[in-house]
Amino acid sequence: MEKDAGSLIQNNSSKSAVVRRILITGICAAAILGLPLVVQNTYYIGIANFMIIYTILCMGLNLILGYTGLLSLGHAAFYGIGGYVTAILMTRHGFSFLPALLISGILAMIFGMILGIPTRKVRGDYFCLLTIAFGEIFRLVAQAWIPFTGGAMGIVAIPIPKIFNWVIRSEVDFYYLGLILVGFTWLSLTLLIGSRFGRAFVAIREDDLAASVMGINTPMYKILAFSIGSFYAGLAGSYLAVYQTTITPSSFRLEESCLMIIMVIVGGMGGMLAPISGVIIMTLATEAFRSLAEYRMLIIGVIMVVVLLFRPQGLFGTAAFKD
Amino acid sequence: MLKVDGIYTQYGKIKVLNNVSFEISAGEIIALIGANGAGKSTFLKTVSGLIRPTQGRVTFMDRDIQGVAPEKIVSAGIAHVPEGRHVFARQTVQTNLEIGAFIRSDAAEIKKDIERYYDIFPILGERRNQPAGTLSGGEQQMLAIARGLMARPRLLLLDEPSMGLAPFLVNEIFRIVGQLHEQGIAIVLVEQNVKKALKITQRAYVMELGQILYHGKSSDLIEDDRVRKSYLGET
Repeated sequence: MEKDAGSLIQNNSSKSAVVRRILITGICAAAILGLPLVVQNTYYIGIANFMIIYTILCMGLNLILGYTGLLSLGHAAFYGIGGYVTAILMTRHGFSFLPALLISGILAMIFGMILGIPTRKVRGDYFCLLTIAFGEIFRLVAQAWIPFTGGAMGIVAIPIPKIFNWVIRSEVDFYYLGLILVGFTWLSLTLLIGSRFGRAFVAIREDDLAASVMGINTPMYKILAFSIGSFYAGLAGSYLAVYQTTITPSSFRLEESCLMIIMVIVGGMGGMLAPISGVIIMTLATEAFRSLAEYRMLIIGVIMVVVLLFRPQGLFGTAAFKD
Repeated sequence: MLKVDGIYTQYGKIKVLNNVSFEISAGEIIALIGANGAGKSTFLKTVSGLIRPTQGRVTFMDRDIQGVAPEKIVSAGIAHVPEGRHVFARQTVQTNLEIGAFIRSDAAEIKKDIERYYDIFPILGERRNQPAGTLSGGEQQMLAIARGLMARPRLLLLDEPSMGLAPFLVNEIFRIVGQLHEQGIAIVLVEQNVKKALKITQRAYVMELGQILYHGKSSDLIEDDRVRKSYLGET
């Protein structure tokens, strides 16, 4: 397993490896695109849609946590900001989906900057505490500011999204919309990580002091990583809003942020696609043990402990991953 | 080239540097010696912008740089190789060197420089695709120095490059430092190995409790009774 993943990431020069790589990519792509043709049960497509949401969230979080090394426990807040922005814009101001999606991402990013600027020089554990505080403040505001957010009842009857002539209504429609968003997330993050920005993020993660003396503006790059990662959370929130047609504060609790962290860690930090395996395992586990109600967090905890015991770097993370 | 004029630096309320003045000309090599806790590392960090002085002036090539952000100081031409090496452990040797050239955008020249440092440090060339964390202490130190040089500095601040190394590696590091000086880079060398440091430098400053006690030609200081007693263990 490890060797396969390694040769996929490392640019293997031998021809057979290239052919195999194209083949594997092709099969995976076909399987993902064709899933709704094989699986007719919309319940399962619904689960896949939640995996898609978490994939977008975790790819963004992976930029913050995996590449830049900032432990943020407030990711659910940015997810929530995206959800509320879309809900409010579409229900009260007549926005169509695409502009609402974009504004949701941008506002989540701006809030990421607002939190990032004062915390840019705060070290590790304190940074983590501040992000928890931010997440809780967000949730409490969402719960208490009833005229604006609808309080605990949230915002209901979010209109059906439409992109040009495509009315997104069924589970399958949402599945493909989600895939487009995942594709966008993956592509844009891959470009970012391949640029000098990516280099700076990794340098900061590896050694903050050394990064500074190499001429990397560490506070600025931390704010960038944090706010860009939050942008994707905003997109995921926007998708959630139109997908569920309601938004309530309970979707954005601290437990959600923890779950995302667990997904990223179980999947493997720092690899672009590695968190997806964590998303799949954790989503399936949450679904499978739904009947156990609160106790399923216990099982999720056990899964994480077991994975970390046997693969401390996560399922698909490599100990010495390339940036 | 670099002129430090009466700087005071403190960590919170603890005063670390007390009215420190220092000067180095282009191409010069200077040792900064003193006991642990004398403030040598803090001095280098103040020059490279990692810490802001509370008072005083730092001028580099006729520009005031006190309180300027570290990345701007790197661009101005000062590279700081911090104590304890601080290599990017999970990145390859090659990537470490590439990150060292972060402020530059001349890709072809960066490539040439990397090859040049592989010539100067052949062991790094052999291990170019290995994660830096798997190198020995001496190799990591060489990488840290080469990485600092990738920014093409005019002034190199070296903090304890021989710390924790086996004796033959210490000699090797000192040989390389001498070689860099011959290439025209100005160097401030902070060292515990006072005898060796005084041998390869032109001048030296002796620091104690956050102040410069005295300074002079290295060849004179090596004969100086105060230095011999305090730092060379002679009576």
